[in-house]
Amino acid sequence: MNYQGGLALIKRTWASWLQARGFFWVLAFGWMIPPLIYLFVWSTAAGEQTVAGMDRGEFIGYYLLIILSNQLTYSTTNWTVGDVIRYGQLNTWLLRPLPPIFEAFAAEIAGKVVFMLFVLPVSGILALLLRPELHTTWMEGVAFVPALLMAWALRFFWGYWLALLAFWATRADSLLVIQDSLVFLLSGVVAPFALLPAGVAAVARWLPFRYMVGFPVEILSGQLPAGEMLLGFAIQIAWLALAVFLSIVIWKKGLRRYAAVGG
Amino acid sequence: MPIKPIEPHISARGLSKTYRVVERGEGLAASIKSLFHRRYQNVDAVCEINFNIQRGEMVGFIGPNGAGKTTTLKMLSGLLHPSAGEARVAGYVPWERKTGFLKRISMVLGNKSQMLWDIPPMDTFRVLGEIYQVPRAAFQQTLDELVELLDMSALLTKPVRNLSLGERMKCELVAGLLHQPEVLFLDEPTLGLDVSMQNRLRSFFKAYNRTRGATIILTSHYMADVTALCPRVILIHRGRLLYDGELSGLAERLAPFKIIRFALTNGPAAIALPESAHLLPSEDDHMACRTSREDAPAVTSYLLNTYSVADLTVEDPPIEAVIDQVYQEGEV
Repeated sequence: MNYQGGLALIKRTWASWLQARGFFWVLAFGWMIPPLIYLFVWSTAAGEQTVAGMDRGEFIGYYLLIILSNQLTYSTTNWTVGDVIRYGQLNTWLLRPLPPIFEAFAAEIAGKVVFMLFVLPVSGILALLLRPELHTTWMEGVAFVPALLMAWALRFFWGYWLALLAFWATRADSLLVIQDSLVFLLSGVVAPFALLPAGVAAVARWLPFRYMVGFPVEILSGQLPAGEMLLGFAIQIAWLALAVFLSIVIWKKGLRRYAAVGG
Repeated sequence: MPIKPIEPHISARGLSKTYRVVERGEGLAASIKSLFHRRYQNVDAVCEINFNIQRGEMVGFIGPNGAGKTTTLKMLSGLLHPSAGEARVAGYVPWERKTGFLKRISMVLGNKSQMLWDIPPMDTFRVLGEIYQVPRAAFQQTLDELVELLDMSALLTKPVRNLSLGERMKCELVAGLLHQPEVLFLDEPTLGLDVSMQNRLRSFFKAYNRTRGATIILTSHYMADVTALCPRVILIHRGRLLYDGELSGLAERLAPFKIIRFALTNGPAAIALPESAHLLPSEDDHMACRTSREDAPAVTSYLLNTYSVADLTVEDPPIEAVIDQVYQEGEV
Protein backbone atom coordinates (compact mmCIF):
# COMPACT_ATOMS: atom_id res chain seq x y z
CA MET A 1 0.00 0.00 0.00
CA ASN A 2 1.38 3.40 -0.99
CA TYR A 3 0.85 5.39 2.23
CA GLN A 4 3.27 8.15 1.16
CA GLY A 5 1.09 8.79 -1.89
CA GLY A 6 -2.06 8.86 0.25
CA LEU A 7 -0.46 11.28 2.69
CA ALA A 8 0.68 13.56 -0.14
CA LEU A 9 -2.85 13.52 -1.53
CA ILE A 10 -4.25 14.59 1.85
CA LYS A 11 -1.74 17.45 2.10
CA ARG A 12 -2.54 18.64 -1.41
CA THR A 13 -6.31 18.53 -0.84
CA TRP A 14 -5.83 20.33 2.46
CA ALA A 15 -3.76 23.07 0.79
CA SER A 16 -6.38 23.42 -1.93
CA TRP A 17 -9.29 23.58 0.53
CA LEU A 18 -7.55 26.12 2.74
CA GLN A 19 -7.53 28.44 -0.27
CA ALA A 20 -11.33 28.43 -0.03
CA ARG A 21 -11.57 28.26 3.77
CA GLY A 22 -14.17 31.06 3.90
CA PHE A 23 -16.55 28.91 1.86
CA PHE A 24 -16.04 25.85 4.07
CA TRP A 25 -16.41 27.88 7.26
CA VAL A 26 -19.74 29.26 6.06
CA LEU A 27 -20.81 25.65 5.35
CA ALA A 28 -19.69 24.60 8.84
CA PHE A 29 -21.60 27.51 10.34
CA GLY A 30 -24.73 26.39 8.46
CA TRP A 31 -24.40 22.86 9.86
CA MET A 32 -24.08 24.22 13.39
CA ILE A 33 -27.41 26.03 13.26
CA PRO A 34 -29.93 23.12 13.67
CA PRO A 35 -28.23 21.60 16.76
CA LEU A 36 -27.76 25.11 18.13
CA ILE A 37 -31.50 25.81 17.77
CA TYR A 38 -32.35 22.56 19.59
CA LEU A 39 -29.75 23.37 22.24
CA PHE A 40 -31.72 26.52 23.05
CA VAL A 41 -35.12 24.78 22.71
CA TRP A 42 -34.29 21.97 25.15
CA SER A 43 -32.26 24.03 27.60
CA THR A 44 -35.12 26.54 27.75
CA ALA A 45 -37.67 23.70 28.12
CA ALA A 46 -35.67 22.27 31.02
CA GLY A 47 -35.43 25.68 32.75
CA GLU A 48 -34.69 24.99 36.42
CA GLN A 49 -36.22 21.47 36.15
CA THR A 50 -35.12 18.29 34.42
CA VAL A 51 -36.55 16.69 31.26
CA ALA A 52 -36.12 12.89 31.06
CA GLY A 53 -33.47 13.18 33.75
CA MET A 54 -31.45 15.92 31.98
CA ASP A 55 -31.10 19.42 33.36
CA ARG A 56 -30.25 22.64 31.52
CA GLY A 57 -26.48 22.27 31.82
CA GLU A 58 -26.60 18.66 30.64
CA PHE A 59 -28.65 19.61 27.57
CA ILE A 60 -26.05 22.28 26.73
CA GLY A 61 -23.23 19.77 27.19
CA TYR A 62 -25.07 17.20 25.08
CA TYR A 63 -25.75 19.61 22.21
CA LEU A 64 -22.25 21.09 22.14
CA LEU A 65 -20.99 17.52 21.74
CA ILE A 66 -23.63 16.89 19.06
CA ILE A 67 -22.29 19.93 17.17
CA LEU A 68 -18.76 18.49 17.30
CA SER A 69 -19.86 14.94 16.48
CA ASN A 70 -22.02 16.15 13.58
CA GLN A 71 -19.11 18.13 12.11
CA LEU A 72 -16.60 15.34 12.60
CA THR A 73 -18.79 12.67 11.05
CA TYR A 74 -20.37 14.70 8.23
CA SER A 75 -19.05 13.49 4.91
CA THR A 76 -18.80 16.29 2.34
CA THR A 77 -16.99 13.94 -0.03
CA ASN A 78 -20.05 11.91 -0.86
CA TRP A 79 -21.70 14.94 -2.38
CA THR A 80 -18.84 15.23 -4.86
CA VAL A 81 -18.36 11.53 -5.68
CA GLY A 82 -21.57 11.51 -7.74
CA ASP A 83 -20.35 14.51 -9.76
CA VAL A 84 -16.96 12.90 -10.23
CA ILE A 85 -18.65 9.88 -11.81
CA ARG A 86 -21.21 11.91 -13.78
CA TYR A 87 -18.77 14.34 -15.35
CA GLY A 88 -16.04 11.81 -16.07
CA GLN A 89 -13.51 13.22 -13.58
CA LEU A 90 -13.29 9.66 -12.30
CA ASN A 91 -11.00 9.05 -15.30
CA THR A 92 -8.22 10.94 -13.55
CA TRP A 93 -8.70 8.91 -10.36
CA LEU A 94 -8.71 5.63 -12.27
CA LEU A 95 -5.53 6.37 -14.21
CA ARG A 96 -3.43 6.69 -11.06
CA PRO A 97 -1.74 3.76 -9.35
CA LEU A 98 -3.58 4.47 -6.10
CA PRO A 99 -6.99 3.10 -5.07
CA PRO A 100 -9.52 5.84 -5.99
CA ILE A 101 -11.05 5.74 -2.50
CA PHE A 102 -7.84 7.46 -1.33
CA GLU A 103 -9.09 10.59 -3.09
CA ALA A 104 -12.27 10.41 -1.01
CA PHE A 105 -10.32 9.75 2.20
CA ALA A 106 -7.99 12.64 1.42
CA ALA A 107 -10.94 15.00 1.00
CA GLU A 108 -12.50 13.66 4.22
CA ILE A 109 -9.40 14.12 6.36
CA ALA A 110 -8.45 17.44 4.80
CA GLY A 111 -12.03 18.62 5.25
CA LYS A 112 -12.12 17.70 8.93
CA VAL A 113 -9.00 19.77 9.58
CA VAL A 114 -10.37 22.80 7.72
CA PHE A 115 -13.79 22.59 9.43
CA MET A 116 -12.30 22.10 12.89
CA LEU A 117 -10.25 25.30 12.53
CA PHE A 118 -13.64 27.03 12.68
CA VAL A 119 -15.79 24.72 14.79
CA LEU A 120 -13.42 24.19 17.74
CA PRO A 121 -12.96 27.88 18.60
CA VAL A 122 -16.68 28.58 18.12
CA SER A 123 -17.66 25.61 20.32
CA GLY A 124 -15.10 26.73 22.90
CA ILE A 125 -16.62 30.21 23.07
CA LEU A 126 -20.13 28.73 23.33
CA ALA A 127 -18.94 26.45 26.15
CA LEU A 128 -17.49 29.45 28.03
CA LEU A 129 -20.71 31.43 27.60
CA LEU A 130 -23.28 28.68 28.25
CA ARG A 131 -21.50 26.61 30.96
CA PRO A 132 -22.28 23.02 29.95
CA GLU A 133 -22.29 20.09 32.38
CA LEU A 134 -20.83 16.69 31.62
CA HIS A 135 -20.74 13.67 33.88
CA THR A 136 -18.35 11.25 32.25
CA THR A 137 -16.53 8.26 33.67
CA TRP A 138 -13.11 7.38 32.30
CA MET A 139 -14.57 4.22 30.79
CA GLU A 140 -17.12 6.26 28.89
CA GLY A 141 -14.33 8.57 27.77
CA VAL A 142 -12.41 5.59 26.41
CA ALA A 143 -15.49 4.06 24.72
CA PHE A 144 -16.31 7.43 23.11
CA VAL A 145 -13.23 7.32 20.84
CA PRO A 146 -14.00 4.11 18.88
CA ALA A 147 -17.70 4.99 18.86
CA LEU A 148 -16.91 8.35 17.23
CA LEU A 149 -14.46 6.84 14.72
CA MET A 150 -16.98 4.19 13.72
CA ALA A 151 -19.73 6.81 13.55
CA TRP A 152 -17.62 8.69 11.01
CA ALA A 153 -16.84 5.48 9.09
CA LEU A 154 -20.50 4.43 9.08
CA ARG A 155 -21.72 7.83 7.92
CA PHE A 156 -19.00 7.99 5.28
CA PHE A 157 -19.47 4.47 3.85
CA TRP A 158 -23.27 4.68 4.02
CA GLY A 159 -23.15 7.89 1.97
CA TYR A 160 -20.41 6.43 -0.26
CA TRP A 161 -22.46 3.47 -1.46
CA LEU A 162 -25.42 5.78 -2.05
CA ALA A 163 -23.19 8.16 -4.03
CA LEU A 164 -21.82 5.25 -6.09
CA LEU A 165 -25.32 4.57 -7.38
CA ALA A 166 -24.44 7.43 -9.77
CA PHE A 167 -22.97 4.67 -11.94
CA TRP A 168 -26.60 3.74 -12.68
CA ALA A 169 -28.76 6.76 -11.91
CA THR A 170 -27.27 10.12 -12.83
CA ARG A 171 -28.67 12.06 -9.86
CA ALA A 172 -28.35 9.39 -7.18
CA ASP A 173 -27.05 12.06 -4.80
CA SER A 174 -30.66 12.98 -4.06
CA LEU A 175 -30.60 9.89 -1.81
CA LEU A 176 -28.03 11.72 0.33
CA VAL A 177 -30.70 14.32 1.12
CA ILE A 178 -32.85 11.52 2.55
CA GLN A 179 -29.89 10.22 4.54
CA ASP A 180 -29.28 13.71 5.96
CA SER A 181 -32.96 14.08 6.90
CA LEU A 182 -33.02 10.71 8.67
CA VAL A 183 -29.80 11.55 10.49
CA PHE A 184 -31.36 14.83 11.59
CA LEU A 185 -34.53 13.12 12.86
CA LEU A 186 -33.22 9.88 14.31
CA SER A 187 -29.63 10.48 15.38
CA GLY A 188 -30.28 12.68 18.38
CA VAL A 189 -30.22 16.15 16.79
CA VAL A 190 -33.93 17.00 17.05
CA ALA A 191 -34.03 15.41 20.48
CA PRO A 192 -31.73 13.15 22.48
CA PHE A 193 -32.52 9.48 21.84
CA ALA A 194 -33.98 9.10 25.35
CA LEU A 195 -36.60 11.75 24.53
CA LEU A 196 -37.86 10.20 21.29
CA PRO A 197 -41.43 8.76 21.38
CA ALA A 198 -41.33 5.04 22.21
CA GLY A 199 -42.35 3.89 18.72
CA VAL A 200 -39.80 6.11 16.98
CA ALA A 201 -37.07 5.12 19.43
CA ALA A 202 -37.79 1.42 18.81
CA VAL A 203 -37.24 1.95 15.08
CA ALA A 204 -34.29 4.31 15.51
CA ARG A 205 -32.52 1.81 17.77
CA TRP A 206 -32.19 -0.67 14.90
CA LEU A 207 -31.57 1.73 12.01
CA PRO A 208 -28.04 2.97 11.24
CA PHE A 209 -28.66 6.73 11.65
CA ARG A 210 -28.43 6.97 15.44
CA TYR A 211 -24.98 5.41 15.22
CA MET A 212 -23.73 8.10 12.84
CA VAL A 213 -23.92 11.08 15.24
CA GLY A 214 -25.79 10.60 18.52
CA PHE A 215 -24.44 7.30 19.82
CA PRO A 216 -20.90 8.48 20.73
CA VAL A 217 -22.37 11.60 22.36
CA GLU A 218 -24.80 9.49 24.41
CA ILE A 219 -21.79 7.50 25.63
CA LEU A 220 -19.71 10.55 26.56
CA SER A 221 -22.59 12.30 28.29
CA GLY A 222 -23.16 9.25 30.46
CA GLN A 223 -26.63 8.42 29.16
CA LEU A 224 -26.00 4.74 28.38
CA PRO A 225 -25.75 1.87 30.86
CA ALA A 226 -23.06 -0.72 30.00
CA GLY A 227 -25.53 -3.19 28.45
CA GLU A 228 -27.05 -0.53 26.17
CA MET A 229 -23.59 0.61 25.18
CA LEU A 230 -22.50 -2.88 24.18
CA LEU A 231 -25.68 -3.46 22.20
CA GLY A 232 -25.11 -0.08 20.52
CA PHE A 233 -21.56 -1.06 19.54
CA ALA A 234 -22.81 -4.36 18.11
CA ILE A 235 -25.45 -2.61 16.00
CA GLN A 236 -22.95 0.06 14.91
CA ILE A 237 -20.39 -2.55 13.85
CA ALA A 238 -23.01 -4.59 11.98
CA TRP A 239 -24.22 -1.55 9.98
CA LEU A 240 -20.63 -0.47 9.32
CA ALA A 241 -19.76 -3.93 8.00
CA LEU A 242 -22.81 -3.84 5.72
CA ALA A 243 -21.98 -0.31 4.48
CA VAL A 244 -18.37 -1.30 3.67
CA PHE A 245 -19.57 -4.47 1.95
CA LEU A 246 -22.11 -2.53 -0.15
CA SER A 247 -19.48 0.08 -1.05
CA ILE A 248 -17.08 -2.59 -2.30
CA VAL A 249 -19.70 -4.53 -4.27
CA ILE A 250 -21.27 -1.44 -5.84
CA TRP A 251 -17.84 0.00 -6.72
CA LYS A 252 -16.81 -3.21 -8.50
CA LYS A 253 -20.08 -3.59 -10.36
CA GLY A 254 -20.29 0.12 -11.13
CA LEU A 255 -16.80 0.23 -12.56
CA ARG A 256 -17.67 -2.46 -15.07
CA ARG A 257 -20.65 -0.39 -16.10
CA TYR A 258 -18.81 2.90 -16.09
CA ALA A 259 -19.08 4.58 -19.42
CA ALA A 260 -16.67 7.47 -19.18
CA VAL A 261 -18.51 10.54 -20.32
CA GLY A 262 -17.49 12.79 -23.18
CA GLY A 263 -14.96 12.65 -25.97
CA MET B 1 16.70 -22.67 -30.08
CA PRO B 2 13.50 -21.17 -31.47
CA ILE B 3 13.44 -17.41 -31.51
CA LYS B 4 10.58 -16.00 -29.46
CA PRO B 5 8.74 -13.36 -31.47
CA ILE B 6 8.78 -9.90 -29.89
CA GLU B 7 5.43 -9.16 -28.33
CA PRO B 8 3.87 -5.96 -29.63
CA HIS B 9 3.84 -3.14 -27.08
CA ILE B 10 0.13 -2.60 -27.74
CA SER B 11 -2.20 -5.12 -29.31
CA ALA B 12 -5.94 -5.29 -29.87
CA ARG B 13 -7.85 -8.37 -31.04
CA GLY B 14 -11.53 -8.09 -31.92
CA LEU B 15 -11.83 -5.16 -29.53
CA SER B 16 -15.45 -3.97 -29.35
CA LYS B 17 -17.49 -1.64 -27.21
CA THR B 18 -21.26 -1.30 -27.30
CA TYR B 19 -22.98 1.43 -25.28
CA ARG B 20 -26.55 1.08 -24.10
CA VAL B 21 -28.16 4.47 -24.56
CA VAL B 22 -31.58 5.61 -23.36
CA GLU B 23 -33.82 6.69 -26.22
CA ARG B 24 -36.30 9.45 -25.50
CA GLY B 25 -38.60 11.51 -27.68
CA GLU B 26 -38.97 15.27 -27.51
CA GLY B 27 -41.16 17.22 -25.13
CA LEU B 28 -42.75 16.88 -21.73
CA ALA B 29 -45.01 13.92 -22.57
CA ALA B 30 -42.05 11.85 -23.76
CA SER B 31 -40.02 12.73 -20.68
CA ILE B 32 -42.89 11.68 -18.36
CA LYS B 33 -43.35 8.46 -20.32
CA SER B 34 -39.64 7.70 -20.01
CA LEU B 35 -39.98 7.82 -16.22
CA PHE B 36 -42.04 4.63 -16.36
CA HIS B 37 -40.95 2.96 -19.53
CA ARG B 38 -37.43 3.38 -20.86
CA ARG B 39 -36.39 2.35 -24.31
CA TYR B 40 -32.76 1.53 -24.89
CA GLN B 41 -30.71 1.44 -28.00
CA ASN B 42 -27.39 -0.34 -28.45
CA VAL B 43 -24.76 1.85 -30.05
CA ASP B 44 -21.68 0.10 -31.41
CA ALA B 45 -18.92 2.60 -30.62
CA VAL B 46 -16.08 0.23 -31.58
CA CYS B 47 -16.49 -2.95 -33.66
CA GLU B 48 -13.91 -5.73 -33.72
CA ILE B 49 -10.78 -3.66 -34.10
CA ASN B 50 -7.42 -5.41 -34.61
CA PHE B 51 -3.94 -3.91 -34.63
CA ASN B 52 -0.42 -4.27 -33.25
CA ILE B 53 1.85 -1.42 -32.29
CA GLN B 54 5.56 -2.00 -31.64
CA ARG B 55 7.61 -0.36 -28.90
CA GLY B 56 8.69 3.16 -29.83
CA GLU B 57 6.13 3.67 -32.60
CA MET B 58 4.15 6.89 -32.94
CA VAL B 59 0.72 6.17 -34.33
CA GLY B 60 -2.03 8.62 -35.22
CA PHE B 61 -5.62 7.61 -34.53
CA ILE B 62 -7.78 9.52 -36.94
CA GLY B 63 -11.45 9.60 -37.74
CA PRO B 64 -14.39 11.99 -37.61
CA ASN B 65 -16.18 12.95 -34.37
CA GLY B 66 -17.85 9.95 -32.78
CA ALA B 67 -15.76 7.48 -34.80
CA GLY B 68 -14.70 5.52 -31.70
CA LYS B 69 -11.14 6.88 -31.25
CA THR B 70 -11.52 8.02 -27.67
CA THR B 71 -13.48 4.90 -26.73
CA THR B 72 -10.61 2.79 -28.08
CA LEU B 73 -8.06 4.86 -26.14
CA LYS B 74 -10.14 4.52 -22.99
CA MET B 75 -10.19 0.75 -23.36
CA LEU B 76 -6.43 0.66 -23.96
CA SER B 77 -5.79 2.83 -20.90
CA GLY B 78 -8.04 0.67 -18.70
CA LEU B 79 -10.84 3.20 -18.18
CA LEU B 80 -13.45 1.13 -20.01
CA HIS B 81 -14.19 -2.55 -20.06
CA PRO B 82 -14.71 -3.75 -23.63
CA SER B 83 -17.92 -5.53 -24.62
CA ALA B 84 -15.83 -8.12 -26.46
CA GLY B 85 -12.27 -8.79 -27.57
CA GLU B 86 -8.84 -8.60 -26.00
CA ALA B 87 -6.09 -6.05 -25.61
CA ARG B 88 -2.63 -6.02 -24.11
CA VAL B 89 -0.61 -2.92 -23.34
CA ALA B 90 2.98 -3.19 -22.08
CA GLY B 91 2.26 -6.83 -21.23
CA TYR B 92 -0.87 -6.10 -19.17
CA VAL B 93 -4.62 -6.43 -19.69
CA PRO B 94 -5.51 -2.72 -19.35
CA TRP B 95 -8.91 -2.94 -17.61
CA GLU B 96 -7.46 -5.05 -14.78
CA ARG B 97 -5.76 -1.76 -13.81
CA LYS B 98 -2.78 -3.37 -12.12
CA THR B 99 -0.43 -0.95 -10.38
CA GLY B 100 2.45 -2.01 -12.67
CA PHE B 101 0.35 -1.13 -15.70
CA LEU B 102 -0.80 2.25 -14.38
CA LYS B 103 2.80 3.20 -13.63
CA ARG B 104 3.83 2.45 -17.22
CA ILE B 105 1.16 4.45 -19.02
CA SER B 106 -0.11 7.98 -19.13
CA MET B 107 -3.12 9.53 -20.77
CA VAL B 108 -3.19 13.22 -21.50
CA LEU B 109 -6.66 14.51 -22.31
CA GLY B 110 -6.76 17.90 -24.00
CA ASN B 111 -10.24 18.58 -22.65
CA LYS B 112 -9.81 17.30 -19.08
CA SER B 113 -7.50 18.54 -16.39
CA GLN B 114 -5.84 16.74 -13.54
CA MET B 115 -4.44 19.96 -12.05
CA LEU B 116 -6.08 21.43 -8.96
CA TRP B 117 -7.09 25.00 -9.75
CA ASP B 118 -6.44 26.64 -6.41
CA ILE B 119 -2.84 25.58 -5.88
CA PRO B 120 0.35 26.02 -7.94
CA PRO B 121 1.29 23.23 -10.39
CA MET B 122 4.39 22.39 -8.33
CA ASP B 123 2.17 21.09 -5.49
CA THR B 124 0.30 18.77 -7.85
CA PHE B 125 3.60 17.57 -9.37
CA ARG B 126 4.99 16.65 -5.95
CA VAL B 127 1.86 14.66 -5.08
CA LEU B 128 2.10 12.80 -8.40
CA GLY B 129 5.76 12.04 -7.62
CA GLU B 130 4.61 10.39 -4.38
CA ILE B 131 1.64 8.59 -5.96
CA TYR B 132 3.85 7.12 -8.70
CA GLN B 133 6.61 6.49 -6.14
CA VAL B 134 9.24 8.22 -8.25
CA PRO B 135 12.55 8.38 -6.33
CA ARG B 136 13.30 11.95 -5.27
CA ALA B 137 16.43 12.39 -7.44
CA ALA B 138 14.74 10.96 -10.54
CA PHE B 139 11.68 13.16 -9.90
CA GLN B 140 13.79 16.31 -9.74
CA GLN B 141 15.78 15.37 -12.84
CA THR B 142 12.68 14.59 -14.93
CA LEU B 143 10.93 17.71 -13.70
CA ASP B 144 13.94 19.89 -14.58
CA GLU B 145 14.13 18.34 -18.05
CA LEU B 146 10.42 18.75 -18.76
CA VAL B 147 10.33 22.28 -17.42
CA GLU B 148 13.27 23.22 -19.62
CA LEU B 149 11.85 21.52 -22.72
CA LEU B 150 8.53 23.28 -22.27
CA ASP B 151 10.10 26.53 -21.06
CA MET B 152 7.75 26.86 -18.11
CA SER B 153 9.85 27.52 -15.00
CA ALA B 154 7.94 30.76 -14.37
CA LEU B 155 4.64 28.88 -14.14
CA LEU B 156 5.50 26.48 -11.35
CA THR B 157 4.48 28.68 -8.46
CA LYS B 158 1.41 30.42 -9.89
CA PRO B 159 -2.06 29.07 -9.03
CA VAL B 160 -3.34 27.05 -11.97
CA ARG B 161 -6.46 29.21 -12.24
CA ASN B 162 -4.25 32.15 -13.29
CA LEU B 163 -2.62 30.29 -16.19
CA SER B 164 -3.63 30.51 -19.86
CA LEU B 165 -4.97 27.52 -21.80
CA GLY B 166 -1.57 26.82 -23.37
CA GLU B 167 0.22 27.14 -20.05
CA ARG B 168 -2.24 24.74 -18.43
CA MET B 169 -1.65 22.25 -21.23
CA LYS B 170 2.08 22.40 -20.53
CA CYS B 171 1.31 21.60 -16.89
CA GLU B 172 -0.89 18.67 -17.95
CA LEU B 173 1.99 17.29 -19.98
CA VAL B 174 4.46 17.55 -17.12
CA ALA B 175 1.88 15.92 -14.81
CA GLY B 176 1.41 13.11 -17.32
CA LEU B 177 5.12 12.51 -17.92
CA LEU B 178 6.74 12.85 -14.50
CA HIS B 179 6.73 9.09 -13.99
CA GLN B 180 8.28 8.60 -17.44
CA PRO B 181 5.55 6.42 -18.95
CA GLU B 182 6.57 4.00 -21.67
CA VAL B 183 3.13 4.21 -23.30
CA LEU B 184 1.57 7.61 -23.87
CA PHE B 185 -2.01 8.18 -24.98
CA LEU B 186 -2.51 11.72 -26.22
CA ASP B 187 -6.13 12.65 -26.83
CA GLU B 188 -6.38 15.99 -28.64
CA PRO B 189 -3.32 17.39 -26.87
CA THR B 190 -3.21 20.56 -28.96
CA LEU B 191 -6.90 21.40 -28.64
CA GLY B 192 -7.45 25.14 -28.59
CA LEU B 193 -3.77 26.07 -28.71
CA ASP B 194 -2.24 28.67 -31.00
CA VAL B 195 -0.05 27.66 -33.94
CA SER B 196 3.29 28.35 -32.27
CA MET B 197 2.29 26.42 -29.15
CA GLN B 198 1.12 23.53 -31.34
CA ASN B 199 4.52 23.45 -33.08
CA ARG B 200 6.32 23.55 -29.79
CA LEU B 201 4.34 20.62 -28.39
CA ARG B 202 4.89 18.61 -31.57
CA SER B 203 8.65 19.04 -31.24
CA PHE B 204 8.34 18.08 -27.61
CA PHE B 205 6.45 14.83 -28.38
CA LYS B 206 9.02 13.95 -31.02
CA ALA B 207 11.86 14.51 -28.58
CA TYR B 208 10.12 12.47 -25.86
CA ASN B 209 9.52 9.61 -28.27
CA ARG B 210 13.15 9.69 -29.44
CA THR B 211 14.87 10.02 -26.08
CA ARG B 212 12.68 7.64 -24.05
CA GLY B 213 11.72 5.18 -26.77
CA ALA B 214 8.10 5.65 -25.68
CA THR B 215 5.18 4.32 -27.68
CA ILE B 216 2.73 7.09 -28.45
CA ILE B 217 -0.83 6.98 -29.73
CA LEU B 218 -2.19 10.35 -30.71
CA THR B 219 -5.68 11.40 -31.63
CA SER B 220 -6.15 14.82 -33.10
CA HIS B 221 -8.44 16.67 -35.41
CA TYR B 222 -5.51 18.80 -36.51
CA MET B 223 -4.02 16.88 -39.43
CA ALA B 224 -0.86 18.94 -38.98
CA ASP B 225 -0.31 17.10 -35.67
CA VAL B 226 -0.64 13.75 -37.37
CA THR B 227 1.47 14.56 -40.43
CA ALA B 228 4.22 16.08 -38.30
CA LEU B 229 4.39 13.23 -35.79
CA CYS B 230 2.97 9.96 -37.02
CA PRO B 231 4.50 7.94 -39.86
CA ARG B 232 1.66 5.46 -39.34
CA VAL B 233 -2.05 6.15 -39.02
CA ILE B 234 -5.02 4.05 -38.00
CA LEU B 235 -8.24 5.37 -39.45
CA ILE B 236 -11.46 4.56 -37.62
CA HIS B 237 -14.91 5.39 -38.88
CA ARG B 238 -18.22 4.40 -37.29
CA GLY B 239 -16.32 2.12 -34.94
CA ARG B 240 -14.61 0.15 -37.70
CA LEU B 241 -10.97 0.15 -38.67
CA LEU B 242 -10.79 1.40 -42.25
CA TYR B 243 -7.07 1.80 -42.74
CA ASP B 244 -3.86 0.92 -40.92
CA GLY B 245 -0.61 1.93 -42.57
CA GLU B 246 1.58 4.81 -43.68
CA LEU B 247 -0.06 8.19 -43.97
CA SER B 248 1.30 8.61 -47.50
CA GLY B 249 -0.19 5.22 -48.43
CA LEU B 250 -3.61 6.45 -47.33
CA ALA B 251 -3.34 9.36 -49.75
CA GLU B 252 -2.27 7.02 -52.54
CA ARG B 253 -5.14 4.63 -51.98
CA LEU B 254 -7.74 7.27 -51.49
CA ALA B 255 -6.72 9.81 -54.01
CA PRO B 256 -5.01 8.05 -56.89
CA PHE B 257 -4.26 11.32 -58.62
CA LYS B 258 -1.66 14.06 -58.63
CA ILE B 259 -1.99 17.78 -58.94
CA ILE B 260 0.36 19.52 -61.36
CA ARG B 261 0.82 23.23 -60.72
CA PHE B 262 2.54 25.33 -63.33
CA ALA B 263 3.09 28.91 -64.40
CA LEU B 264 3.43 29.96 -68.02
CA THR B 265 6.07 32.53 -68.95
CA ASN B 266 3.41 34.94 -70.27
CA GLY B 267 0.92 34.38 -67.49
CA PRO B 268 -2.30 32.30 -67.44
CA ALA B 269 -3.74 31.52 -70.88
CA ALA B 270 -6.22 29.19 -72.54
CA ILE B 271 -4.42 25.88 -73.14
CA ALA B 272 -5.26 22.43 -74.43
CA LEU B 273 -4.52 19.42 -72.19
CA PRO B 274 -4.32 15.68 -72.89
CA GLU B 275 -7.63 13.84 -72.24
CA SER B 276 -6.32 12.29 -69.02
CA ALA B 277 -5.79 15.70 -67.38
CA HIS B 278 -8.42 18.15 -66.10
CA LEU B 279 -7.81 21.82 -65.61
CA LEU B 280 -8.53 23.07 -62.08
CA PRO B 281 -9.70 26.56 -61.13
CA SER B 282 -6.53 28.64 -61.03
CA GLU B 283 -5.20 30.55 -58.07
CA ASP B 284 -3.02 33.66 -58.46
CA ASP B 285 -0.80 33.49 -61.59
CA HIS B 286 -0.37 29.70 -61.37
CA MET B 287 -2.50 27.16 -63.23
CA ALA B 288 -3.24 23.64 -62.06
CA CYS B 289 -4.50 20.38 -63.48
CA ARG B 290 -5.44 17.02 -62.02
CA THR B 291 -4.36 13.72 -63.52
CA SER B 292 -3.97 10.08 -62.49
CA ARG B 293 -0.71 9.01 -60.86
CA GLU B 294 0.20 6.88 -63.89
CA ASP B 295 -0.39 9.69 -66.37
CA ALA B 296 1.40 12.37 -64.33
CA PRO B 297 4.82 11.95 -66.03
CA ALA B 298 3.27 12.06 -69.53
CA VAL B 299 1.17 15.14 -68.76
CA THR B 300 4.20 16.86 -67.21
CA SER B 301 6.37 16.27 -70.25
CA TYR B 302 3.51 17.36 -72.56
CA LEU B 303 3.25 20.68 -70.69
CA LEU B 304 7.00 21.24 -70.73
CA ASN B 305 7.31 20.40 -74.45
CA THR B 306 4.22 22.26 -75.65
CA TYR B 307 4.25 25.49 -73.68
CA SER B 308 6.80 27.89 -72.35
CA VAL B 309 6.71 26.90 -68.68
CA ALA B 310 8.35 29.15 -66.06
CA ASP B 311 7.62 26.93 -63.04
CA LEU B 312 6.13 23.45 -62.45
CA THR B 313 5.50 21.22 -59.42
CA VAL B 314 3.80 17.82 -59.08
CA GLU B 315 1.98 17.40 -55.76
CA ASP B 316 -0.18 14.97 -53.82
CA PRO B 317 -3.63 16.31 -53.00
CA PRO B 318 -3.73 17.98 -49.55
CA ILE B 319 -4.17 15.40 -46.77
CA GLU B 320 -7.14 17.33 -45.33
CA ALA B 321 -8.99 16.85 -48.62
CA VAL B 322 -8.19 13.12 -48.59
CA ILE B 323 -9.39 12.68 -45.02
CA ASP B 324 -12.49 14.74 -45.69
CA GLN B 325 -13.28 12.37 -48.56
CA VAL B 326 -13.13 9.35 -46.21
CA TYR B 327 -15.22 11.06 -43.56
CA GLN B 328 -17.86 11.91 -46.16
CA GLU B 329 -17.90 8.56 -47.91
CA GLY B 330 -17.15 6.34 -44.91
CA GLU B 331 -14.84 3.99 -46.74
CA VAL B 332 -11.33 3.69 -48.08
